[in-house]
Amino acid sequence: MDVIPSLDLLGGRVVRLTHGDFATVKTYGEPEVVLDSLGVPDGSRLHVVDLEASRSGRPVETGIVEQLAKRDLVVQIGGGIRTVDDARRWFDCGAARVVVGTVAAESPALLEELADTFGAARIVPAVDIRDGVIRVAGWQREAGATLAEVFARFEALQIPEALVTDISHDGVLRGPSFALYRMLAEKTKTRIIASGGVSTVNDTVSLSRHRNISGCVIGKALLERRIDLRDARARVSVPNAIPERVIPCLDVRDGRVVKGVNFTNIRDAGDPVECARRYEEEGADEIVILDISATDANRETALKTVRRVAGSLFIPLTVGGGVRTIEDFRALLRAGADRVAINTAAIRDPELIAACAREFGVQAVVLSCDAKRDGDRWLATVRSGKELTGIDAVEWCRRAEQLGAGEILLTSVDRDGTNSGFEIDLLRAVTSVLRIGVIASGGAGRLEHFLDAIECGGARAVLAASLFHDHVLTVGDVKAFLAGEGIPVR
Amino acid sequence: MQVTLIDSPVANTANIARALRTAGADLHITREAEAIRTAEKLVLPGVGSFAAAMRWLIDMRIDAAIRDAVDAGAALLGICVGHQLLFEASSEMGMTRGLGLVPGEVRIFEGRLPVPQIGWNRVAARGPLFAGVEDAVFYFVNSYAATHALHEIASADYGGAFTAAVQKDRVFGVQFHPEKSSAAGLRVLRNYIQWT
Repeated sequence: MDVIPSLDLLGGRVVRLTHGDFATVKTYGEPEVVLDSLGVPDGSRLHVVDLEASRSGRPVETGIVEQLAKRDLVVQIGGGIRTVDDARRWFDCGAARVVVGTVAAESPALLEELADTFGAARIVPAVDIRDGVIRVAGWQREAGATLAEVFARFEALQIPEALVTDISHDGVLRGPSFALYRMLAEKTKTRIIASGGVSTVNDTVSLSRHRNISGCVIGKALLERRIDLRDARARVSVPNAIPERVIPCLDVRDGRVVKGVNFTNIRDAGDPVECARRYEEEGADEIVILDISATDANRETALKTVRRVAGSLFIPLTVGGGVRTIEDFRALLRAGADRVAINTAAIRDPELIAACAREFGVQAVVLSCDAKRDGDRWLATVRSGKELTGIDAVEWCRRAEQLGAGEILLTSVDRDGTNSGFEIDLLRAVTSVLRIGVIASGGAGRLEHFLDAIECGGARAVLAASLFHDHVLTVGDVKAFLAGEGIPVR
Repeated sequence: MQVTLIDSPVANTANIARALRTAGADLHITREAEAIRTAEKLVLPGVGSFAAAMRWLIDMRIDAAIRDAVDAGAALLGICVGHQLLFEASSEMGMTRGLGLVPGEVRIFEGRLPVPQIGWNRVAARGPLFAGVEDAVFYFVNSYAATHALHEIASADYGGAFTAAVQKDRVFGVQFHPEKSSAAGLRVLRNYIQWT
């Protein structure tokens, strides 16, 4: 998949408009200076929009396109192209392709003439979609033709690629419209250049897993430095082979697996060894044990449980609950845990993370963060979500990474036990600022939730408890579903 | 089949012992250089620091015992840092010499992905060690790896290709943790135990 920088031009400068409104123009500078600052190498494909041309209906920024073409950039240019002569003018300036919007949906005869005159591969139809319906004329009205009709036309003309923007996702940095692209994969063989909402490197990785997507254009997120172009290109060029993990969680109390919404009405759900072994057989990639009764008084019971489970598994085991000191941490590793999750004690003494990373290695340290929404941010909580701290959860996860945590177990306190889906905004906020992996926890209820947490949330692992204990879904069900949607699993 | 597990303190010996027994080994666990020198099938585990693991082998004169055993025709399987120790050197802490049983060096990952690699990864594998492995996905925890090793029998990608396993004659090494890799890992151990 090609990661394509997108530049909107107005008055010879790179700009951004908010929701297409010329009153909201924000200027970023001269195109070549901007390209250099973004690290766009020669030979790159570049998506350029001539905003004045789209308003006036005549090519305007022809001089700039000439300069860019001379730099060996493969320019696809759009903006108010309504005649064969408009397109010719851009090709004469050195553009490699022209992007046509309204024409593509509204003027089949002209689209055919463009394809015949310049070659179908040099025409990129742009389709803007809201709620499954094509919008034209600056998104102001519905197109006369349906999605199916328009794409059938592209296929008949042998146009290889179409630029597809989900209007509701454009410029709001909440992730691309994966569902739309999945729907199109079933409707058309035309390859898709995804546009709109791409705001993290993970978004580009997730798009690259869609087999019908040949490229994605990125504008705002590059200009605002949320995405590093080289980083994104490196990440999408590696093979899609590192499996995402599915992790059952055993909440253990006094040596028994328990379940209950928000830790009230707790019910017995079986023996931890039997549960863990069953999950390994079903294909679990790791087991998490959270011992909710791990106080000093019954620490020995907790360690015994860990020894029993660890001694029956051949997959990694992560254990958390009541870890206060480096000695607690060591005792759990000795009992057979591969990794130990710290929560409350790390908030009270962040140095504990660094001390454990030094003593046992980064790979052994998991920070468990229970986050609760507070207005437009999230606060870290302690004591299983019962006590709010004043600490910003996203900042706290970032700090934990710096201190030496190897992974974050991120639980949405608001979603936990609700089966209403993982909290995607929280996941995006955390995964977009970390290099280490995040395990999504809290809210899993349906197969699609797991996909969403990985694809849109950027999680590297998904965790659920009651869903698996209650046999609503098996680990195998989740992995088969993810594999079917193009997510690599073991 | 008798297998001699080298009881390094810089290793997760207990987990590997349990996996080897499950895979059918009649296990002898030892730190005695003499027992290692006369063994027919050895396993060298290791986690953490290459330098610390190598230092212990030298202090216990086990490095020489391993070389003697291999010269006399013993089979050897290195696991994780035990696999790295088979090479000539590691760039950990400047440059630390290894056992030199297989050519090549171990270096830190230089891709854009977080280090250490913690998790499952898919490997492209061949040879008797991987016979009958249905889905070659194994569990890794490592910051260092060999790349394009001469005797590579398995490779994987972590922001760039790296060597996941080697075999030179009777010396095998696996960068991953077979004892944490569920059925695929146990199969690799069983293949080693039964290999002649």
